[in-house]
Amino acid sequence: MADKIHVAVLGYGFMGSTHIDAWQMINGCIVKGVWGRDFSKTKQFAAEKGIRAFPSLNEILDDREIDVVDICTPTYTHAEYAVQALKAGKHVIVEKPMALSLRDADRTIHAADKSGMKLMVAHVLRFFPDYMQVKKMVEEEKIGEICQARAFRGGPFPAWSPWFGDVVKSGGVAVDTAIHDVDFITWISSSTAHRVYAKITRNVNSDSSKYDIAVINIRYGDGLIAFIEASWAHPPSFPFTMKLELDGTKGVIALDNQSPVPISLYTKDANHRYAPESLPWKPMIHPFPLDPFYRELSHFVDCIRRDENPMTDGRVSRRSLEICLAAVKSSEIGKPVNLPLEV
Amino acid sequence: MNATFRVGFLGVAHFHAESYAKALKKIPGCEIVGVYEEDTALGKRFGEEFKIECYRSISELLDKNLDAVIITSENSKHHEHIVQALDNDLHILCEKPMTINIRDAEDVVSRVSKKGVKFQMCYVMRYHTVSILVKELIDSGILGKPILMVGTNKLNRALPLLRNWFTNLSLSGGGAVMDHTVHLADLMRWYTEDEVVEVYTEIGKNVNKAISVEDNFFTTVRFGSGLIGHIDGSWTYASGFYTWGDVTMEIIGTDGAILMDAFRQNVYLIGDKHPGDRLSWSYYGCDPDLEMVRDFKRCIQEDKPPRATAKDGLEGVRISLASYESSKRGEPVQLHQL
Repeated sequence: MADKIHVAVLGYGFMGSTHIDAWQMINGCIVKGVWGRDFSKTKQFAAEKGIRAFPSLNEILDDREIDVVDICTPTYTHAEYAVQALKAGKHVIVEKPMALSLRDADRTIHAADKSGMKLMVAHVLRFFPDYMQVKKMVEEEKIGEICQARAFRGGPFPAWSPWFGDVVKSGGVAVDTAIHDVDFITWISSSTAHRVYAKITRNVNSDSSKYDIAVINIRYGDGLIAFIEASWAHPPSFPFTMKLELDGTKGVIALDNQSPVPISLYTKDANHRYAPESLPWKPMIHPFPLDPFYRELSHFVDCIRRDENPMTDGRVSRRSLEICLAAVKSSEIGKPVNLPLEV
Repeated sequence: MNATFRVGFLGVAHFHAESYAKALKKIPGCEIVGVYEEDTALGKRFGEEFKIECYRSISELLDKNLDAVIITSENSKHHEHIVQALDNDLHILCEKPMTINIRDAEDVVSRVSKKGVKFQMCYVMRYHTVSILVKELIDSGILGKPILMVGTNKLNRALPLLRNWFTNLSLSGGGAVMDHTVHLADLMRWYTEDEVVEVYTEIGKNVNKAISVEDNFFTTVRFGSGLIGHIDGSWTYASGFYTWGDVTMEIIGTDGAILMDAFRQNVYLIGDKHPGDRLSWSYYGCDPDLEMVRDFKRCIQEDKPPRATAKDGLEGVRISLASYESSKRGEPVQLHQL
């Protein structure tokens, strides 16, 4: 590998755009170009970002200069593209969820093993500064043994990407959105989930989609119980909210992104609440590396350069996917589901 | 500059010395060479904590082929320490307030201008990510023309008692007004790129009757442009409050408003020792002390002007002293009258 790491991004949606901005801030990384299914949209998007528009995926896979393929396309395409890129000898970072079935997740993990290339699933929550602080406090045993965890993640339907509403493409809110907290709590627990009981329902007032609110209960092997609520069905005026509470033998840790924030901006048209991590980070101007996406992709770059395993590799991410799929199954059959799931 | 950035501490009476020393330890290519501190017990403790030599005289320390000094002595000693460092052609990072009277402050500005060294004030909020972002928002014009800035930089009342000199007039030059006017005054000057022309201050009766310097005040300032600022830097927060203090500012413009609460970057932590155990904050935010020290080194290395200079130090001193004068007279003070 040359000194510089060359990256190609798949997907020109919200996440593709966010990742490209973050890649461009990382020293020693060059975004060579982007590919998406609609070439005219790809060209327009590429022009905005000042990068090249690739007319086909194969041109990226055949380009020997490209080291990393970053997959930010809709979820149902993740496994197929990841397998192709790994087979072509590229390091792969793929948005969460890595796949919509365990079979596809295993196919991806197998391709990574066989190729020897790095595979990371982008569980960005682990790189949010407040969640990082929670993890550190747990490691410092500030609240002793954690007995109960509860998380909330929700807001209005992500209308900018209508494919989320199609459960076949996104997995629905229980897979797409709850997986953030599932991954974080599983990471904190350092135990394995044994049993999942969930209800996934449709908000009768919502015209968005099926399966737009999920309530998920998880029992872990060490006795920890977790409750996760994930929603795409809150009213349009409801701000995107993340909450976490950990109840331990020696105290409680909590966070809530709607508690008072460092900067609130009010103008004639709107108001904005800024936590530093919600603003784009400009190196040199803002000294504190705020952007969780920057940190996430930097972690992947470090792993490539040092030949280390990413924190959220295929196997780690598969565990979270399995819990989310168990939640869907539990909701369908109306009973708790024991893990592991059959493939 | 030496291959390694060699720094000495001239006085460590201010707690911030520890924070700057920790910052130096985190920045590659820095060496803390030693410390001079008149209070030998304090100097020895500091030397042991950071595993550095504690010198018995200033000249002994300044003899050690230093690049720079950090001056964190008592306020009243800053001027003397600045002069000695300048005489040795050393770069200076100076704790606020720069001096405790205007004559000394003007003398520093004049001496620095005659030397080829960097002089940087510890106006740490110019290095805080949140206040930098607010500056960018203001500069972007999103608020239209700013007309009012109301700030608090309040402190837990127990903190100034941890080092006796803070409440000793001859060493500190004053209480809360001297200690906590300058951060907000400087932020407002930085945001407006304008100077204060008029100051009015009310000093209240002390919450802590055991100290002889003032511990609370309200200062109203008027800038050349007509913009109004309000500063509350009181030492009145009580123990049990969630954190050490705050830096907040409400900024009203013709087209919008910003509420800044710079240290609101926290996870909640609640212990279980007693049913009444209170919520505390666990801070995960940016480290402005680190960024300030990092920038000090960078400005020297790249020969760039510091973000906060001796002139900014002088203006801070001017505003604090005008506050005392206004409080004494019971009327607004025009700055050019002093």
